[in-house]
Amino acid sequence: MIRSALLVTLSLIAFGFVQNSAHAHGGVVEEEDLCVIKVNYLRGHFKIYQPRIDGHEEYCEDLPNATETVFVMEYLHESLGEAAVDFRVIHDVTGKGRFARWEDVAEVTDLDSATVLYHEPTVDPDLLTVIHEFTEEGDYIGIVTANVDGKEKIYRAVFPFEVGFTGFGYWPFFIVLVLAIQGQYFFMSGRFDRWHARRKSPRSNVNAGLLLLLMCSPLMLPEQAASESPHEWVSERGVYKVSFESSLQPIEINQIHKWVLHITAEGVPVVKAELSVVGGMAAHDHGLPTRPRVSEELGDGDYRLDGMRFHMRGAWEISIEIEAGGKTDTVVIALQL
Amino acid sequence: MTWLAATVIVISLTAWIHFRPVGPQPWTNDDVEILRSLWVGSLPVLPADPTNSVADDPRAASLGHHLFFDPRLSSSGGISCSTCHQPERRFTDGLQKGQAIGTSKRNTRSIVGVAYSPWLYWDGRRDSLWSQALSPLEDPAEHGGQREQYVEFIAADPSYRVMYESLFGEIPDLAGEDMINAVFANIGKVIAAYERLLMPGQSRFDVYVAAVVAGDDDLQNSTFSDDEIVGLQLFIGEAACTQCHNGPLFTNHEFHNTGVISFPGEVPDKGRVAGVRQVLADPFNCAGPYSDAAEKSCAELEYARTGPELIGAIRTPSLRNLENTGPYMHKGQIASLAEVLQHYNEAPLAMIGHNEAKPLSLNKRELRQLEAFLNTLAAPLATADVWLGPPARSLASKGDEK
Repeated sequence: MIRSALLVTLSLIAFGFVQNSAHAHGGVVEEEDLCVIKVNYLRGHFKIYQPRIDGHEEYCEDLPNATETVFVMEYLHESLGEAAVDFRVIHDVTGKGRFARWEDVAEVTDLDSATVLYHEPTVDPDLLTVIHEFTEEGDYIGIVTANVDGKEKIYRAVFPFEVGFTGFGYWPFFIVLVLAIQGQYFFMSGRFDRWHARRKSPRSNVNAGLLLLLMCSPLMLPEQAASESPHEWVSERGVYKVSFESSLQPIEINQIHKWVLHITAEGVPVVKAELSVVGGMAAHDHGLPTRPRVSEELGDGDYRLDGMRFHMRGAWEISIEIEAGGKTDTVVIALQL
Repeated sequence: MTWLAATVIVISLTAWIHFRPVGPQPWTNDDVEILRSLWVGSLPVLPADPTNSVADDPRAASLGHHLFFDPRLSSSGGISCSTCHQPERRFTDGLQKGQAIGTSKRNTRSIVGVAYSPWLYWDGRRDSLWSQALSPLEDPAEHGGQREQYVEFIAADPSYRVMYESLFGEIPDLAGEDMINAVFANIGKVIAAYERLLMPGQSRFDVYVAAVVAGDDDLQNSTFSDDEIVGLQLFIGEAACTQCHNGPLFTNHEFHNTGVISFPGEVPDKGRVAGVRQVLADPFNCAGPYSDAAEKSCAELEYARTGPELIGAIRTPSLRNLENTGPYMHKGQIASLAEVLQHYNEAPLAMIGHNEAKPLSLNKRELRQLEAFLNTLAAPLATADVWLGPPARSLASKGDEK
């Protein structure tokens, strides 16, 4: 643990990359994400793993070991999902080291003999994943090529990196390292997280002290009050009022069912509305398990919504965009299951 | 000196608050409702499968029972469904990945209670038991054969043929692709009818819940230890396990990315994002020509969600009968329950996609208590023993007795 903390901290310092801690939650957030690869205007979230040695530890470029290595590029631009993407890793035969560019790679006469890994052009709608077993340490250059439509447009990204990276100049950073490791230990020990989590958890009384119990008790009250749902919801700009009736009473989790939505505007049923429905749980960063659709207008402001299913208890939000007679507004139905 | 003493007192008090053993707390009314929702007694009557007209026909289950255990349904003559789905291991195989003709791509899931799931396989690439049953038959790493071979086999075996024709009518002249596919689909449908009989039985946990619901303190105390009760409290509370492992089968049958590490030598599994494309394109799906479902009764398929949120998402497995169904996870990446719990305690960033789980920061004692609780979910099946092994007599010998 200390060793991997050391390596990560070193690479952070050496290259100024700011990474989420392995214990942080939140996934790919573009603004905080500096492991971005730019293939011309196409951008991808590029990360490298050495799962057999370092588990979930994420690297941007330099890698500590010559071992099984997984390259992942998650698309930040949809066009990458339609492009034929290939990925090549070569020994650094350009002599340019960290400053190697595509122009330098293009001058290499025998690219094939310098190549250690070549992933054929593949269209993958979701992401690029490539695995390679590095057998020797050294300097390498990675080249991502995306062919968007036809042969005319070929975009490339070139990144030099080192395998078996052991860092340099330990001693100037020694004090910073000690502080970083101490800090990391403080957060990794989970003490802060645990205290923080219990403060928010209604079940905090299982293990936390009396003090924490007292602190969180008043917090629980508004939560319970919020579970009392209204029977009618007003859209964000006040144009529409929406109520619904579920074919499942009460709504159970894990059962697909239908709703009938009733929509009015200023007390008058809204007809011929275009509705689009999305939903999810804000607390868990995920959407509905299904993709519900309005399948039929039943008349008198009623619309049948098919394909509803919830797969967890907790706070759900169903957002319905309503467009009728040139007026668009969105209503958010909050449900506590 | 006074300061030193004060510091020692504060540290000791803090340590006591954090590390003192905590006994079980009484259940609240809300807790009891959650416990009842997890109870095997809350398992509803198995819904009909409109895609399979023989789903609940005992003759189909009997034929399916024979086929499930018959190794002649393979290219080598040595692989049956029960090669990997071994009844004595709750229909799993104790391996990281299934071993048949070759090595399967993923871990063998238990099929106990599977008939309740709208999706099959770890990535949900099939939407009915019968369409699932067809895939291994043609997978080169599993049974390794082809549909023509299986159809000919049923037609050539006199006892199977009689049984088949009593269910589906005469096997037609197998000239066309459609005819072959129809008979092949029916093979899946009888195997599905058998699998629908495999139901979880009452575990020690279920006895405990019944005691809680009945308010029987003595039975509660004699059924569960304090550690198991605290483990259960963590399970439905702080550890947030019931977000996905809910309902009497301890699964929401849905797909979640929980950041499990890649299998050695392989890129991370894309999971549902690829599976949903496969099921939508599967000719044997609910909406396809070999399904018995009336039009518009394929809601799960019709409203199936797609998109990048499903990258690396894997179907939640049931937690019943964990005791001898390891190694765990979709490729058997994690050997023991303790390590599985450690994984969820840390909730590392996912290699691909986004880990929905959040770190739990439970201490070692709490993790042991959770594990103790999980082991109370072990139970023999509720299914009669005659179904839990190869059929005692072949259909042919039954015929010969007449």
